[in-house]
Amino acid sequence: MRLRSLTLRHFRNVGFAALEFSGRQHFLLGANGQGKTNLLEAAGFLTALRSFRTSDNKLLVGHTQHTAAIAAVVEHERQGETKITIKLRHDGKELWCDQARVTKLAEYLGKFPTVVFSSQDLQLVRGSPAGRRRWLDLTLAAMDPGYLRALQMFSRALTERNALLKTGRAGETQLAAFEQTLAPAAAQLIALRSSGIKALGATVKSGYAKLCDDAEPASLVYEPNFAEADAEALLARLEAGRARDAQFRTTLVGPHRDDFQFNVHHTAAKDFASEGQQRSLVLALRLAQAAWFQEKSGVRPVLLADDVLGELDPVRRSRFWSAIDHEAQIIATGTSLPAAELGTWQIFDVADGAFSERGAPREAAL
Amino acid sequence: MTPAFEKLQKHLKQLPGLGYRSSERIALHLLVEKPAQLPALVAALEEAARAVRRCTRCGNLAEEELCGLCADERRDQTVVCVVEHVPDLVAIERSGAFRGSYHVLHGKLSPIQGVGPEQLNFGALIDRIETGGVGELILALSNDVEGEATCHYLTEYITKGRDVKITRIGFGLPSGGGVLYADSVTLRSALEGRRSFQ
Ligand SMILES: [Zn+2]
Repeated sequence: MRLRSLTLRHFRNVGFAALEFSGRQHFLLGANGQGKTNLLEAAGFLTALRSFRTSDNKLLVGHTQHTAAIAAVVEHERQGETKITIKLRHDGKELWCDQARVTKLAEYLGKFPTVVFSSQDLQLVRGSPAGRRRWLDLTLAAMDPGYLRALQMFSRALTERNALLKTGRAGETQLAAFEQTLAPAAAQLIALRSSGIKALGATVKSGYAKLCDDAEPASLVYEPNFAEADAEALLARLEAGRARDAQFRTTLVGPHRDDFQFNVHHTAAKDFASEGQQRSLVLALRLAQAAWFQEKSGVRPVLLADDVLGELDPVRRSRFWSAIDHEAQIIATGTSLPAAELGTWQIFDVADGAFSERGAPREAAL
Repeated sequence: MTPAFEKLQKHLKQLPGLGYRSSERIALHLLVEKPAQLPALVAALEEAARAVRRCTRCGNLAEEELCGLCADERRDQTVVCVVEHVPDLVAIERSGAFRGSYHVLHGKLSPIQGVGPEQLNFGALIDRIETGGVGELILALSNDVEGEATCHYLTEYITKGRDVKITRIGFGLPSGGGVLYADSVTLRSALEGRRSFQ
């Protein structure tokens, strides 16, 4: 898909901005803190109604404002020209697709794929399992309604079971009642995560090989908290763990404690890889995510590169550049113009939340 | 606005689905625009408060010991359709597909909402089963996590060891939805296509 225009109102520090995109490469140029990333954040919001920077939507609504709005016109492989309007309030959000209100996430999630490349991504290798799970859930759920449904069922059943455990007087029969719905959904999640990580891992491996000279292979390794994708086995484990769960007042076993690991040459990248290798790994992960979205949905994701081009050394940058899909639209940010070898860009100067297109594009865009 | 007006509005606002604006509009309507209708409304409220209660057998609305459905000898009292709320019962009645009796739980298990077995109308159901006469329970609960858990609780705890056939509708119901949101045709096919549950 291609973003044709993006309009923001009261979104973070952006009071009002209306950007018309022409061509395929767009560069947001400005000093830090001016609002470049806010625009990428809004574009990324289209995919899952979620920010890649925060889980607190209150932060997205401009200071002293009640409502923030994002409006986008996209050229979509399947739906043709589509207008998306999102309204964000402190207590919720509303979404319209071509004037029709959309109320179910399942009807919308992943239809408008974007992939963010950000310096924060290093946390995917180094940071907590929760961040990796969030990334994995979004990547899989966006392309598979069955995954989304299993995830929603599992999360709800887990929340109910934990609420029961928190009362400190959870009866066996009530626990069992919620385990009956929790276990099959959990088993489904474990199976889908296992096959998803296998498929994504293969693409990470080939992407990493393109980005790095070292002949050492990269891989993703699923680390399930409960390894058997089998509802009966998990039911038995939950039942056996009830006393311990009651003591800790929470459910100790299940896919809510899953993780996956990045390996380079069969050792944990978190502990043993250099910073350069780690950066290449997350770039490869994002490339794999983009390829996954396109393969599963037939829709080419919009690439959002937050300050990434400027951070890479010239060798890595040119390798990254040749590894990305050159049919895909890319919106990049930076504090200085990208190197000439990266082609021609439509440039927007960004200052204090305002965006102004610099002249006409320097050459006729593709 | 006067103190009495604000007091009324405050009470209206606590009703389900009413916010500040709508409660204000209703209060104005009652007191200023159509005050002539007010005595009839007050009388209806008082009468309903006095007369309407839960059916002791099934939990449905009743004005006698038993509701109209439990008192109706033409209905098959051995087949009991278990629903969450009275409007679910009304929706199934409207479909015309069911000639048995009902049991209204007045909710479903949800520890998040503080609803446990004690809050639900299980006691009367156990009485019905123990005094005999219940051959089949049709579980017409929503097919979300809480509805499923309530079904499991019913089969494991309420009916275990008792000779009751259990079936579950849900076939064709929108996932995550409840009986109330299904149309008559869907409800009819959901009832006809009910399946044995464990
Ligand atoms: Zn009754």
